[in-house]
Amino acid sequence: MIRGVIRWIDERIDIIGVKKGLLDRKMPGGLTWWHTLGSATLTVFMVQVVTGIVLAMYYSPSPDHAYDSIKYLERAVISGATLRGIHHWAASAMVVLVLAHMMRVFVMGAYKYPREINWVLGVGLLFVVLGFSFTGYLLPWDQKAYWATQVGTNIAGTTPMVGPMIVKLLRGGSQLGAATLARFFAMHVLLLPALLVTIVLLHVALVIRQGIAPRTAVLDTDAPPRTTDPEYPEYYRTRYAQSKGAGVPFWPNIISKDIVVGVVVVATLVVLARATGAGLESPADPSDSSYVPRPEWYFLPFFQLLKLFPGSWEAAVAVGLPSVLVLALLLLPFFDRRSLRSMRHRPVAAASMSVILAGSGLLIGAAVREEPKTAVVAEAGRPLSSAERSGRALFARQQCGSCHHIAGQKPPAKKDDAPDAPDLTEVGLRHSSAWLHSFMEDPLRFHSDSKMPPFGPPTLTHQEIEEITRYLTSLRGADPTRKPEYADTFPATKTRPGK
Amino acid sequence: MSDPGADPLSPAIPRRGFMRVISGVGAAVLGALVGVPVIGAFISPALEKPKVDSWVKVSDDTALLDIGVPVRVDFVQTQDDAWVESRALISVWLYTEDGDVFKAYSGRCTHLGCGFTLAEDKKSFACPCHRGQFDIKTGAVLAGPPPRGLDELKVQVRDAAVYVQYREFRLGVPERIEA
Repeated sequence: MIRGVIRWIDERIDIIGVKKGLLDRKMPGGLTWWHTLGSATLTVFMVQVVTGIVLAMYYSPSPDHAYDSIKYLERAVISGATLRGIHHWAASAMVVLVLAHMMRVFVMGAYKYPREINWVLGVGLLFVVLGFSFTGYLLPWDQKAYWATQVGTNIAGTTPMVGPMIVKLLRGGSQLGAATLARFFAMHVLLLPALLVTIVLLHVALVIRQGIAPRTAVLDTDAPPRTTDPEYPEYYRTRYAQSKGAGVPFWPNIISKDIVVGVVVVATLVVLARATGAGLESPADPSDSSYVPRPEWYFLPFFQLLKLFPGSWEAAVAVGLPSVLVLALLLLPFFDRRSLRSMRHRPVAAASMSVILAGSGLLIGAAVREEPKTAVVAEAGRPLSSAERSGRALFARQQCGSCHHIAGQKPPAKKDDAPDAPDLTEVGLRHSSAWLHSFMEDPLRFHSDSKMPPFGPPTLTHQEIEEITRYLTSLRGADPTRKPEYADTFPATKTRPGK
Repeated sequence: MSDPGADPLSPAIPRRGFMRVISGVGAAVLGALVGVPVIGAFISPALEKPKVDSWVKVSDDTALLDIGVPVRVDFVQTQDDAWVESRALISVWLYTEDGDVFKAYSGRCTHLGCGFTLAEDKKSFACPCHRGQFDIKTGAVLAGPPPRGLDELKVQVRDAAVYVQYREFRLGVPERIEA
């Protein structure tokens, strides 16, 4: 029955021929596990397609609803949080795998004759993947998304001459807002997938048509010195045919390896997704200018590099470096025409790759080391929310610290006339926010001999007192996990004595 | 990859079989790893349990309701529409013959969901869309296309206030099935 169906189809469209061309084709001998990186990238891309389709069913690309729709996905949809976690981790995996695959091709000199076109397509894929990452980062519309995109679009804005135009083009207007989100969403789910699928199809079609590059040794013996030499194509054809003749068929020898690697990669993504999820900060707050944005980790080397260049240099590096990088990658197979492929014969290639890898590593290290300084407040032992940060700023502006001490801050100057004010290092453990708010408003209601002046209106607004309260409740001493025990007593009447 | 010098065919057959099995099992595992959460999230709405609605107060005092004449009560209900909270204006008809026993009908015609009104004789409800008619006492169909009588809602009287539990039902079918 099945055989009959197959014969019926085969008579019309020759599927046996397709099977011979695709599955039974011979691969050159000596393919390593490193050769599975390309197919692993393709596997993760397919994971992104299927998870992305279902994610889009629960997403609303509008600042009013984007954040809520993601909350809903995580809370109310079966395996919604896992799904989002997979998509998030797979996004990182895409970047890692594309870069690793690219390095494999670079190290083995596989971008040389006759695969220059496929190298260029691959460089295109790298930048499409980075485009996915940049546009996808904004979609949750939380603080991280909003502020990282502010920075990202502002970097593009430092381009000479056309900068302001590019910013408006990226944001769909001069401000980051509703039009930006819709635009990024359209790019993320319509434009970039179409682009990526097209280039991937060409990329894979060329791999099938040209075959995988053989081991470097095969093409390094008795080779004409340059790939532009007239006898090189003939030399290549002969050598490649020999290596293929001694090789193995694609199915099942190579495919089984690809699948094993695919399972390991995807299983890792699922474990990461279930263990840590995708994370969601508080909703985007465009008025909170004290938020310190962090880019996705693979942008950290670039992010850190920009900090090393002051002023006008920064703009030059911000736009210049990526441009130089793109050009260098695109032109690589056209200026490197020496035929030798093994790294042993390519000192310049080896050196430049080591410099880039070591430099990126150092920059990531530096960025990670700096992270706590910018994000975690010493006295609270954790990053503060926007209200808590405003409270901290008010605390300083009202000079509360000239009487009250908080460990981790400058101690108050000891003056004889200074009143003996309580230490606030662990105040969050002793008092509830309601008590702190009422006390700051009017200390005399609580202790008729209090030396602390009242901070209630008109000195500070209730909003401002509440912000200081939030900051104070974050102060829980050295161990922020300790549970507070309040024993607050409130004065019996709302009126002040003597009033 | 293959052993140089060895017979190229004899060891290859079990090895290739092994690779086929690995490929098949691996592909199945891959499909399951991704397929389970993807399909789970996709079919999630179909598996959602119906929500338990709360009682809505439709009248403060039973004494204020006319005997033998139905009265329409409109109220706004907050509905969780996935990640959007939306408000829907809902109508129910209250009817009592003796001031003790109360009936509540959903304000939607069972034919296609139009809102109906009290006919001029005040003995029946009339739907303006396709001239359906219902009895005010029993909700039974008197004329027109409606496939079933009006949908009765659960009623509760507590401290002289009237509460109903609003439900929606499938339209256009003879059976009363919750939507």
